[in-house]
Amino acid sequence: MDKLKRLGLFMSMSIRISPFYIILLCLQALAGSGQVISGVVLMKYLVDELIGEKRAEQLIFLGCLTVGINVFLHFVKKSLERTIEVGQQYLADKMNEAMAEKIMRIEYAYLENPYYLDLKERAVFAVRNQSALSWMIYAIAQAVQSGMSVAGFAVILFTLSPILAFFLVAGILLELLCYGRFSKYMIKFRNEILPVNRRYGYYFGLCCQNEPQKDARLYGMGDMLSKRVVEYGREIAQWLGRLKKRESVFRAQLSVLNDLQTALCYGYIGLRVITDRFGSRISLGAFTMYVSTALGFAKMVVSFGEQIVELSQFLSYLEPFAEFMALTEETSEKEGSIVFEGPVQTIEFDHVSFCYPGSDREVLTDVTFQVERGQKISVVGLNGAGKTTLVKLLCRLYKVKDGEIRINGRNIFDYTYTSYMKTVAAVFQDYKLFAFTLRENITGKEKEEKDMAAKERLENILEEVGLTEKIAELPDGAESLYGKEYEETGILMSGGESQKVAIARALYKDASLVIMDEPASALDPIAEAEIYEKFNRMVEDKTALYISHRMSSSVFCDKVLIIDGGVVADFDTHENLMKKTESLYYKMFSSQAVNYQL
Amino acid sequence: MEKYSVLKTLRQMVGRAFRENKRIFVYFIIYTMFGGIYPVFGVLLPKFTLEELSGEGRPERLLLIITVYFLAAGVVGAVTAAMAHLAYEAISRLRLDALGEMGKKLLEMDYRYVEDAKFYEENERAMNACNSNENGLEGIYHKLYGMLADVAAMGIFLVLIGRLDIWILAALLAHVAVSAMVGRKAQEYEYSMKDKLAHQKRKEEYYARIAHDFSYGKDIRIYNFRDRILDNYNREINGYRILLRKIKTREWLLGLAELFFFFISQAAVYGILIYRAFHGMSIADFTMYYSAASSLSQMMLLFGEKVNYVIKEGQYVHDFYLFMEKDLSGSKGTRERIKNGTLEIEFKDVGFSYPKTEKQVFQHLNFTIHKGEKLAVVGVNGAGKSTLVKLMTGLYQPTEGEILINGIPAWEFDKRELYKMFSVVFQEINVLAYTVKENVSCVSGEADTERVWEALEGAGLAEKIKSFEKGLDQMLLKVIDEKGTELSGGQSQKLCIARALYENSNMVIMDEPTAALDALAEAEIYETFNRLVGEKTAVYISHRLASTKFCDKIALFDKEGLQEYGSHEELMAKKGIYYKMFVTQGKYYNMSGKEEEACG
Repeated sequence: MDKLKRLGLFMSMSIRISPFYIILLCLQALAGSGQVISGVVLMKYLVDELIGEKRAEQLIFLGCLTVGINVFLHFVKKSLERTIEVGQQYLADKMNEAMAEKIMRIEYAYLENPYYLDLKERAVFAVRNQSALSWMIYAIAQAVQSGMSVAGFAVILFTLSPILAFFLVAGILLELLCYGRFSKYMIKFRNEILPVNRRYGYYFGLCCQNEPQKDARLYGMGDMLSKRVVEYGREIAQWLGRLKKRESVFRAQLSVLNDLQTALCYGYIGLRVITDRFGSRISLGAFTMYVSTALGFAKMVVSFGEQIVELSQFLSYLEPFAEFMALTEETSEKEGSIVFEGPVQTIEFDHVSFCYPGSDREVLTDVTFQVERGQKISVVGLNGAGKTTLVKLLCRLYKVKDGEIRINGRNIFDYTYTSYMKTVAAVFQDYKLFAFTLRENITGKEKEEKDMAAKERLENILEEVGLTEKIAELPDGAESLYGKEYEETGILMSGGESQKVAIARALYKDASLVIMDEPASALDPIAEAEIYEKFNRMVEDKTALYISHRMSSSVFCDKVLIIDGGVVADFDTHENLMKKTESLYYKMFSSQAVNYQL
Repeated sequence: MEKYSVLKTLRQMVGRAFRENKRIFVYFIIYTMFGGIYPVFGVLLPKFTLEELSGEGRPERLLLIITVYFLAAGVVGAVTAAMAHLAYEAISRLRLDALGEMGKKLLEMDYRYVEDAKFYEENERAMNACNSNENGLEGIYHKLYGMLADVAAMGIFLVLIGRLDIWILAALLAHVAVSAMVGRKAQEYEYSMKDKLAHQKRKEEYYARIAHDFSYGKDIRIYNFRDRILDNYNREINGYRILLRKIKTREWLLGLAELFFFFISQAAVYGILIYRAFHGMSIADFTMYYSAASSLSQMMLLFGEKVNYVIKEGQYVHDFYLFMEKDLSGSKGTRERIKNGTLEIEFKDVGFSYPKTEKQVFQHLNFTIHKGEKLAVVGVNGAGKSTLVKLMTGLYQPTEGEILINGIPAWEFDKRELYKMFSVVFQEINVLAYTVKENVSCVSGEADTERVWEALEGAGLAEKIKSFEKGLDQMLLKVIDEKGTELSGGQSQKLCIARALYENSNMVIMDEPTAALDALAEAEIYETFNRLVGEKTAVYISHRLASTKFCDKIALFDKEGLQEYGSHEELMAKKGIYYKMFVTQGKYYNMSGKEEEACG
């Protein structure tokens, strides 16, 4: 069964992370059930002694023993609790980390596929919001404890009367039936309230997030936004009301069943004391023991059942998690055995077509062109024309649907993942920097290079992108931590400065193919011009692809690739393209150029 | 800051609940009555049974006892169990309404708090008070709901045991008191560590977040940051574990005191009861007192935990109430908006730095935007162009000097009235998951349909909207409605322009509206500019210089402030910074293909 498999996955993950944890949990369960059962058994001897011989030394002994065992097990439980609580948090954290690692390892194509995006969201929701992992650990611990108590009680109970045990189990099954029905309702309820919750979250988010706040104030949207929050809040409350009404009926049923069971136990075991019709008579001490045992047994079986239902509930919440953890990883690709060496000589797009996974729309259709070593190519097109997609394909983030992309005459997927990734450096529109030092953001290495040449290279690049001055201003220079998200002491950089760091990172990486997707959108005119002018020199003999909405950047490129609606509309030099006055390129260029005529 | 008092906070909470929904109290009273006596049955049943068993042992009496028990306990228990859940909806609603009020407050507070990361950090506790069913405000309500029944039940047992033997009671009370104290102390210690814990957690969360955020995926793969992120992530997890272990060890050590009193109470209960039974107490009483003592001790322990919980969570609620009472509007003025005509804005010796920062964005800034003027504001990054917008529109106040609107100091206006005078289109496009109509009119319900169409027409988006089946009532975005429409970047920006057109403001401001758009979409936006502006005063901010073509005046800012001001021709003739920027940016745009020399 799927759920068992999931439980297996989860258990093996837990054991890998922290093997002691499970052992400690069992020990704690043992101490807990030991405390309960020893109390019940000792009480029998105590009562028997009190109504029997009343030997003082025996009473003192029993009293001391009971108190002693109780205190000792209490101590053991508390001591284990301490380690377990820490362990539980640790386990939950490590599970989150495992998920994070998986996200970084899976094939990139998953990351932009709506289905997997949603899968991830659902997995994360289960792990974080529903805390399914931590609750499951807890439920397992509880189940182990009640399971042990059940076993212990059952042994005592059978010494009295298997019939009673059977009888109890029947009552218990009835209770579990109620519970199962309610739990089914709960699952349905959760699924139904999820979209309401999400909507609520969206509208409430609008009140708290920074982005809409300027508009919200300037356009007086306050009432419109908060009204929705209140409306959906009311809706959620109503939903909860429905659930709780159902629960109150269920709890009342359960309570009545419980009381019935109690009454019957007292009745039956009581009769065993006063008549021998159902078996040999028992002592009053045995009566107290059996009554507590029977009731304890019933209680424990129910809570054991509850925990199993709960566990299965959590396992069903964790379905997306398990599915996510089973996705293919980037490096597990079978293809790609050749180590890519030496610089990029040629790039060939050979009748390449592409749709994003989970979509039928062709983003690129029959794209064919060839780039030679050292060429600088500008890729131009309207928003949504497929420029960025082209770049992603070239970075091996996706596989083409039809056709082939070849570098140096070989399909790019023939090369090993690692060696290929070393060849490409890219600055994306939505480039990201990390909360590492600036130097590490650029070099990708935690420790500073001892090598003088490497240091010099870094300094050169910083100079080229125009960051030297900024870095000199910083108290820790290039060793300053980027951003404040991680540490208060981090430094904040403007959009333009950050973009420069991203560009430096691409240049530092010794790759023979450099791709810049709108590298200068946040830079001001002067910085932008500087960057463009220096690009050619900075990338030296590397092959480079640029994407920019600033048409002026095409001028200094060797060739311009025009993408229009996923198709290559033209591939020529700027001069030649400008001769075609009807073309998209001409229109785009002149629409901007007209503003700059002196 | 007002000091935290549990009782005062609770009084406030109960008062509010009373005003909002009296039904809660009806349920509460019934629950308390039934819940208070229910535990007694569990103690009486063994007593009567044992009495009968150790006495005459009549089967029919035994049957009577268990029947009476079942009927009484069954009814009382069922009512208790049902009542425990019936007030849930009303209580949840109290929280959700409070949360709604908070949302409104956040939307209306002065904008400077929005951009102040510290503000959120400082008020985190207040803002989290209404976050879940189990904690904070709602958690306390749920706990309080059951606590009086606990008190009643404990009262009965206290009297019962107290009348038998005061020493058992004393030992039990001592244990519970120490246990509660230990719990409180442990909580206090944890609380004293909370900044460290939160800090550590935040560091850990950072790595979780960037790994989970798919938009980091490309860079992580291409620059091979994965192992490094995992190493750090691991380190932070371990850091958290060490902190937690420290807290738990402390708790354990404190727990030793509890253990000692646990021993005392156990010894007292068993010792005294055995002693009494030895000297003639009936076995029925022995078991009754024994189970009463253990029930009482359990109930008191749980009660102690609840009290601790209420005290702890009450702090969040206290902070929440304080937060809600605080005046964050930042509005001192009372003047209504200027009804007719457009605006003249005068910056008079304005100085400004963002709250809690040292850096002066502006110093002694003096200039005037005249009525009907179209001003292009250009400049390098970090010159404060966007800050200028925030000052003009009243999102921020100058730290020095003042801004005059038609000669009236801006602060004299009521904030909301001030906002109404400006239509601003920003670079960040905020299309919301509402209908087209709501997105344009910014009100739910009563909007002037005709004017909405006019605005869409003006923004050049009417055709597109007409193509929707539901027209103006088409839902946007897919977050809420799967059939919602996602507009392209250019269309979204046009929607924002329609929003600006619909709002009957006195002045128009565009803050880098085309930064994310392609060349043709950009050109279209430029075209709508004149329609949007009409006769109104307008400011167009951009780091591209193209805007200067359709504006009358240009203000050029650099990091030192306003550097050049004048018409395009004047500034070109001056051959200063503006000239240099224009030439550098435009040099590759030369249609003839021949390159201009960059000057300056």
